[in-house]
Parts: sequence; C-alpha cells; structure tokens
Amino acid sequence: MSLLDRLYRRVPALVMARRNLSRNRLRSALAALGIIIGVLAIASLGMFGTTLRTGASEQLGDIGNEISITPNPEAGFDRLTDRDVADIRRVTDEGVVVPVRQRSGTLTRGKDRRITTVYGIENPGALYEATDGRVPDRLRQGALVGATLAEQLDIEPGNRITLDNQSFRVVGVLEEENGISLLSPNSAVVVPMESFDERGYSQVVVKSPTGTAANETAMAVREELNDREEKVSVFELGSITEGINQFFGILNAFLVGIGSISLVVAGVSILNVMLMSTIERRQEIGVLRAVGVQKLDVVRMILAEAGLLGLVGGFFGAVLAVLAGLVLNQVVISDPWLTFAPANLLYIGLAVVFGIVTSVLSGLYPAWKAATERPVEALRK
Amino acid sequence: MPIIELEGVWKRYESGTETVEALKDVNFAAEPGEFVAIMGPSGSGKSTMLNVLGLLDVPSEGVVRLDGRDVTDLTDEEMTTQRKRAIGFVFQNFFLIPTLSATENVEVPTLFGTDPTARERATRLLERVGLGDRLDHRPDQLSGGQKQRVAIARALVNEPRIVLADEPTGNLDRKTGRDVLELFTELKTEEDVAVIAVTHDDQLRQYADRVVNLVDGVLTEEGAEADAGTEPETTEEFGT
Ligand SMILES: Nc1ncnc2c1ncn2[C@@H]1O[C@H](COP(=O)(O)OP(=O)(O)OP(=O)(O)O)[C@@H](O)[C@H]1O
Ligand SMILES: [Mg+2]
Repeated sequence: MSLLDRLYRRVPALVMARRNLSRNRLRSALAALGIIIGVLAIASLGMFGTTLRTGASEQLGDIGNEISITPNPEAGFDRLTDRDVADIRRVTDEGVVVPVRQRSGTLTRGKDRRITTVYGIENPGALYEATDGRVPDRLRQGALVGATLAEQLDIEPGNRITLDNQSFRVVGVLEEENGISLLSPNSAVVVPMESFDERGYSQVVVKSPTGTAANETAMAVREELNDREEKVSVFELGSITEGINQFFGILNAFLVGIGSISLVVAGVSILNVMLMSTIERRQEIGVLRAVGVQKLDVVRMILAEAGLLGLVGGFFGAVLAVLAGLVLNQVVISDPWLTFAPANLLYIGLAVVFGIVTSVLSGLYPAWKAATERPVEALRK
Repeated sequence: MPIIELEGVWKRYESGTETVEALKDVNFAAEPGEFVAIMGPSGSGKSTMLNVLGLLDVPSEGVVRLDGRDVTDLTDEEMTTQRKRAIGFVFQNFFLIPTLSATENVEVPTLFGTDPTARERATRLLERVGLGDRLDHRPDQLSGGQKQRVAIARALVNEPRIVLADEPTGNLDRKTGRDVLELFTELKTEEDVAVIAVTHDDQLRQYADRVVNLVDGVLTEEGAEADAGTEPETTEEFGT
C-alpha cells in the first residue's frame, strides 16, 4: 500500500473529493485557475512592493545610521563644548563621533572666487570617501573638496586653493553623495579643525553601524545632555527612513488589497462550481446519506474538494509568483535573489493560505446545502 | 422476534390546502431470513412505507421498531448510524457512483469508517454475486443486471439485518430480473437478512416468502393460500 493509499484510507473524504474533482476536469481546472490568479496577484503585488522598497532604500543609502547633535540657541547655547563632545563620546556605545565646525568662506583658485561652506573636521574618513586622492583618518593639513565644487573649479588633488587668506594643498576630491546626507559635501570644502579660529563646535555627527544603534545613541545623548535644560537638539535621519518605510508599508497593503479582490472573485467562482457539482450529484449524495454516511462526513467531503482546489491553485499560484518575482527583481534592481527575501516568502505563504481559506469558505455553503438535503427528497426521481 | 416492525403507522403529506394520507394505520413486521414483497398500484404508498422502514423518513403517527427498539424519535445522526449498522438499500436506478470501480462502490458504505476488512468483504461479496471478474470495472462498463448486483453487494457490505429494495427489477428485462430475484432468495438465508422488496413485477410473487398488498395506503396481508413460501425450483449458482 503506497503512502497516498494509506492517507486516503485515513481520510476517505479526500478520495471522494479527488475523484469528484477529476470527474469534470475542465471545470475544476478553471476553478483552480481563479485561485492561481488570485494567489499570483497577491504574492506578486506584495513582492513588487518589496522591490520598490528595496530600490528606494538603495537610493537613500544608510542615512538612517547617522544622527546630528546641534546646540539649542533658544536656550542660550550656540556652541557645543569639548565637554559636550566628551559626554557624547562616553554615551555612544557603537559608532564614530565626528565633531564639526562650520562657517562660510571665500574660495579662490586662480581667478575664480566663490563663497562656499567650510567644514572643520578632524576625522573626515568616518564620513566620506574620495574619488581622487585620499581621505586621511586624521586631517592635519591640506583640504578635501566636494565633487561639484571640484568639477566647477577644475580642482584636482595636489592643486593649491586659498580660503579667505589661508592656503591649502588639496589632498582629495570627495565622492559625490546622491542620497540625503546630514553634511552634504558636494559643494563644500573640508579643512583641518585647527584652521578655525573659534573654539567649540557647531554640530556633532555620530555615525553608527545600524539604524537601531543610531536610535539608541540619540536617546542616550538626549538623556545625558538635556537632563536639566534643552541644551541640544538631536536630529535623527532614522525618523525620515521610518516615515518612508511606513509609506511603503501602506503601499504594500494597498497592492495586496487589490490582489485580494481577485481572490474574492476566485472564491465566488469556486462557490459556483461547488454548488453546481453538488446539485448534479444530488442523488449520489442522497445514496451516501442513505447507506449511513453522516451529514458531517458529507460536509467534510465537499470541503475537501474545495480545499483541494485551493491547494492546487495555491501551489501553482506560488510557483508562478516566484517566477514572476525572479523576472521582476532581475529587471528592476538586477537582483533576482531578492525574490527569496523573508518578506516575500511571507507574502507567498500568506497568499497561499488566503487562497486555501477562500476556497474552503466558498465550499461551506454548498457543503451545508448538500448535507442537509433529506435523502428521501434527493432520491425521488 | 421480528427484526423490523411498524405499528399503527400513518404518513401524511401536507401540500398547500390538501393533505395526502400515504400510509393509513399500517402494521407490519418482518423476520430475518424472510423475503417479503410489497405490491400495489402506483401511488399507493409503497415507496413511502419503504422509506419509513429504512429510517429515511419518520411517520406522522405510530411507532417504528428496529430489533425490538423504538427508533421513531431518533436524531438524524442516530438514524444514520442505525441505517449504516442494520439496513441495506437497493434502488430501481442502481444509484452507483460513476467514478468509482465496482469494488469501491461496494465499499462506499464503509468508506467513512475505519474498518480494515472492508476491501476484503467487498471483494468476497462481488465474487458471491458473480462479478469476481468485474472488480475494477466502472458502472458505465457494466450491464443493468450487473449494476444491480453491484448494488446488492453494496447493500450487504455492512452485514445488515434488513435489505430494502424499491423496484429492484424495474429497470431490468424479465430474465435479468429473475436472476436478481433469485440472488435475493439465496442471500436472505446465507446472510440471514430480511429482504423487503417493493414491486409492480408479478414474477416477484413466486420468489417471495410472503406478499403484502398496499392499496391507497392500506396494507393487507395476502392470503396464506397464495404462493407464499414457494421456493423457485431452479437455483443457479453465480460466480465461481
Ligand atoms: N414528498 C411528498 N409530498 C407530497 N406528497 C407525497 C410525497 N411523497 C409521496 N407523496 C404522495 O404519497 C402517495 C404515495 O407515494 P409513493 O411514492 O409512496 O407511491 P408508490 O406506491 O411508491 O408509487 P409508485 O409505484 O409510482 O412508485 C402519492 O399519492 C404521492 O403523491
Ligand atoms: Mg415508488
């Protein structure tokens, strides 16, 4: 006896269900097709959402990992002191603390003059990369030039530039930053901290390895520095990414909702098919009841039919959804393996479960109707 | 002791304004090993009576006893259980399930139970009714007489005490009908069941132990001087 035979022996409703479905293959196939489409719609629209979200967060980069701490002028603070920086360092578990001085200055190169933002950063290597030259871990002399500025003024590493009345040798041109950034370097010049006359810092950037770590740091800094008065304000880009994530969450729910409509339609078609087939088999079900098959067993049998339709439809729907996901992710973000991201597997699983549940629910009414018909009525010719 | 008994059974159908009385104060009993024929004109209440005997329908008035036990007021579930345990049905139109093989059709009444010997019993019964070489044929591959023999095997698979047959020969020619009736007379003693058959068919008279007449819902026992108790002279063996 094969495994399938043994299963059938255990669950006789399944044997009957399978046979009944194979009686009118075309009709069963069409009903299952409805479920296939519904499952495919839910799963692939869900996956489409994941793809959009992934594409968007690739654009945004890892800004969620950075926080910015600035003094609060309303409470009378317009500088952050060395002590504040030390406090921030102390409460930062993971991540690099980058104190920043900022002013605007006149950049002169040859005959070109330009007003630019000037950052004084001791450790720019924590934030930036160079396309040309290099970004030293400790910037003690020389300057780094933003990508846009370098292009406009035709600056290369090794050139000399003059800022107000100080002269610097350019050691690197910074990589262009496309995403949102706390300290946009594109049109700025980064110089050693010591070249500023002032003391104190206009802001401190903390770069953490993860968004969660950034968030923890932000909370710790607030607690440490703002315990008595609002000395600083802490800005988290994480709150922006959170908003964006929320948006995509809503978008996904919307897309999946649209997909669900097709599943409802599929449910109606299963209802129709099951109703028709139970009416056709009226006498047969009457015989079953007459020879001692209980109402509940008739219900089980018909629900098993509906469930099998859902299972088959769900299976093929899931297979098609995976194929669609592979194509979609290859085309949109050139990473087909994103199809197997946990979120997507969840969508596929959910879609299959929805498909089966819809089918079984649609089978309920026909099952109930068939089971409660009196065998005497059903057997009268 | 009678296996099944009707006592003062009335059956009324209310349809709109008028009431049809299909059974009027019917008293009836059948013993195991007995072949009873219910005869009567169309519309006289034969099917109605068989449905009441088969626990498919409940009387408007009166008592139904199965094995001495009052089963008139059982729930649907209990009636179904009693049908499965004690009663087999044979219908005029066979009512076999077209997608199932002969063996599977015979197994249908055991299907929703967990009896591991069902397959064996089904095969044995099919061999007994002469269809040992048709076990895997589907109904559309069988003749009318063969179908009815599958139906008889199905009626017997749960080892019932009563077999109820509504016009079992109604869709068969005379010769095939006779074979089926002969089978009933053999099986009633072999399986120790009461066979109760409804019929228009006059040739049934010679196979039955007893004939009751139903006219307009009133049941009368046919005189003892009739052919009751006459065994047919020829008994063909079926199968191998
Ligand atoms: N469900 C019902 N509703 C109303 N009247 C019914 C119902 N079932 C049977 N009857 C009536 O009861 C009477 C007996 O019907 P029944 O089917 O028992 O007759 P019968 O003897 O089997 O006839 P036949 O030989 O034609 O099969 C008939 O007058 C019929 O019209
Ligand atoms: Mg009738």
